[in-house]
Amino acid sequence: MYRQARLLGVLLLLQVVAMVGLGVWLFSRFDWDRAMKITSGSGKINVQTIDGPWLEPLVRALLFAVYFLGPVVLLLLAGLGFVLLRRRGWMLASVAQALIMLACLFFYGASRPWFAYALIAYSIFMILLLNSRSVRTVVHRRRLTPTEARPEIARGE
Amino acid sequence: MANEESVDARTAEALLRRFEPVIRFTKGEWFYPMDCEPYVDACSLWVARPDEDAVCVVPAGELTLEKLAQQPEDTTGAVHYLKIPNPKEDENRGRRARRSHTNPDWPKETFRAGRGRLARVGYISRLADALFSLMLLARGRVPGGDVEGGRVLYGRYMEEKQRFTYHGNVVRQDGWIVLRYWLFYAFNDWRSNVFGANDHEADWEKIFIYLSDSESGEVRPEWVAYAAHEETGDDLRRRWDDPELEKVGEHPVAYVCAGSHATRYFRGEYLTELAFPLPRAISVVRRILRRFWYVTLRQYAADEYREKSYEQFTIPFVDYGRGDGWAVGPGQDREWDPPRLMNPVPPWISEYRGLWGLYTRDPFQGEDAPAGPMYNRDKTISREWFDPVGWAGLDKVPTRAEELEVITGRQAEIEERRDLLRSELREKSGRLKALGMDAEATRDQSHLSKLHENQTRHIKELSGEVETLRAQLSDDEVLAESLEDHAESLRGGERPPAGAHIMHAARPVSEEETHAGRVAQLWASISIALVLVTLILIIAYERSHLLSALVFAIAVFAFIEAGFRRRLTRFIVSLNVALAIVGALVLLEHYFWSVIVLAVLAVGLYILWENLRELGR
Repeated sequence: MYRQARLLGVLLLLQVVAMVGLGVWLFSRFDWDRAMKITSGSGKINVQTIDGPWLEPLVRALLFAVYFLGPVVLLLLAGLGFVLLRRRGWMLASVAQALIMLACLFFYGASRPWFAYALIAYSIFMILLLNSRSVRTVVHRRRLTPTEARPEIARGE
Repeated sequence: MANEESVDARTAEALLRRFEPVIRFTKGEWFYPMDCEPYVDACSLWVARPDEDAVCVVPAGELTLEKLAQQPEDTTGAVHYLKIPNPKEDENRGRRARRSHTNPDWPKETFRAGRGRLARVGYISRLADALFSLMLLARGRVPGGDVEGGRVLYGRYMEEKQRFTYHGNVVRQDGWIVLRYWLFYAFNDWRSNVFGANDHEADWEKIFIYLSDSESGEVRPEWVAYAAHEETGDDLRRRWDDPELEKVGEHPVAYVCAGSHATRYFRGEYLTELAFPLPRAISVVRRILRRFWYVTLRQYAADEYREKSYEQFTIPFVDYGRGDGWAVGPGQDREWDPPRLMNPVPPWISEYRGLWGLYTRDPFQGEDAPAGPMYNRDKTISREWFDPVGWAGLDKVPTRAEELEVITGRQAEIEERRDLLRSELREKSGRLKALGMDAEATRDQSHLSKLHENQTRHIKELSGEVETLRAQLSDDEVLAESLEDHAESLRGGERPPAGAHIMHAARPVSEEETHAGRVAQLWASISIALVLVTLILIIAYERSHLLSALVFAIAVFAFIEAGFRRRLTRFIVSLNVALAIVGALVLLEHYFWSVIVLAVLAVGLYILWENLRELGR
């Protein structure tokens, strides 16, 4: 029964690894040598030297970090929860997927880089998996027993 | 009725009085069960013909039960209906009477929904509720003045003397003695006074008690069935020895909901959904999507997924059966008056097929008054009248005295069938063996190949028949054993669980939901208005980011709502599903041709794989 939870945990951790890897790759595309040259001078920064297209990769990497740092932390906690504690972390994982999807669909709405599509595809897969009967039966075993009163259907009288 | 036997009036009255129910009302109820005669005396009788204005055929003050039975001016398509006099119209006509006569001091108490009414249903429902109210302007509805008319009519009746009357009828059907308590209310004010779904003049509700003849010759109460809205079948009834069935001596206790007069077994507040059928096309699409989601994608469903033969849109309302108001019945503060007997069936029941109150021409019929105990609104005979046993799903249940007799008869029947099956099986087995030998003898002989083919086909057919017979025999053996065990337990005095027949019991909502917090209630009251104002502000000031702003605002409202309703999990799932659908569309749009190519490639590879497998065999 817990194999399903562990598998889910592994898939979540894989998502963390992929996103961290993406972040590292984005930061690595920035020309750090040039940045070092600017900042290690006499303490004066020429505004014209920092204003240019060479800064775009840094902006892109920083935005990526802003959008996805929160979800990555949630995914990490959820993944570890599933792997180590077997059943915890469903809500964290679901919220993280929602945040990732929102970021990909709205913040990257206009520019939408290639990795946004990959993230969307993986998130769709994870959303379906998290909401699948087998996973939810395992993780919500106690809480989802239907105890609520069923409403009646009326047509008039 | 062909399948019913009537019971003489004296016996009927004695039985009705012996088991008459105790009814507990909700505080603030305006209308209690009354004798229908003073109601009819106060009403006028109208006839509505297709595409014509309704005509008054008997004015108020001249109508009697006898006249009602004559159903004058009946033609094809005509709908007869009663109409409660409108006190304002009376005043306009100059019929001013004493003040106490025109404006009775009634009701004594007003209904209070209490905290949490709106907090119990979600945005969609609240919005649908608002639309539903608006829709009432377009469809037929009972005018507000009619509630006042009902109040005045009933107030005068109660000012004269407080009387509580039921209409009783007793019949025998399929071994059962059915006591039918028909409760007549002057008005159903569920919408006007209790925030419910509908109003209509007149309301006929019912409580049935099912008795059987015991071995000692005494009658024995076995089941009761309380009517609630249009529910029928097993869920309606409770066994007499069910610990959940409240009784005062031999009198079952019923809780009547304020305004709607739906009758319940437990005190509390019930979520009742008013259902509207969806258009056929939408229904088909919804069914396909549901199947794809729950079966193909194996997504989680809180209730077990079931294919529905029809799809409907529902708006939830609350039915208040608190039982904190007046109690009517034996040993209570207010006792029943002698019942109006309907044994033999009086002509005003059997001959008057019209409605007992205003006909509003409402296409959903919710605002049209009901027909009498014997008829449906379309003038067909109602099931609870011609088949009271089947109405509560008791047609498959023998009385206690009949149980062992039914089992013995069934056992004899099964034994007889098993003998027949055995002999048929012996005969067919013998033929099968003979055919088997024939087929063995004709195998691998070229001149007998045609014969062999026929023999093989016959063997296959016969083998199938023998298999079916063996399965039937085996099923019958198991059934016979089960019947024997069941008979044994019945002989030992054991009874099956009292609630075993109930699939979906109507139960009140939990205490927790009933007493929603003050903030939750405040939020529920203002949220729809807030949503609308926010939408207007976004359209006015954030038109450049319209989509994003709308999505953000809706998400924030939905999140707050889910928090108050303790449904965060459901909210997250819904949000994720919506995002996944949008994401899938974005992927499809971006990779449209790649998806098509991949799909074609996958189909091609599948066909290739199948063909190669066939080659390899």
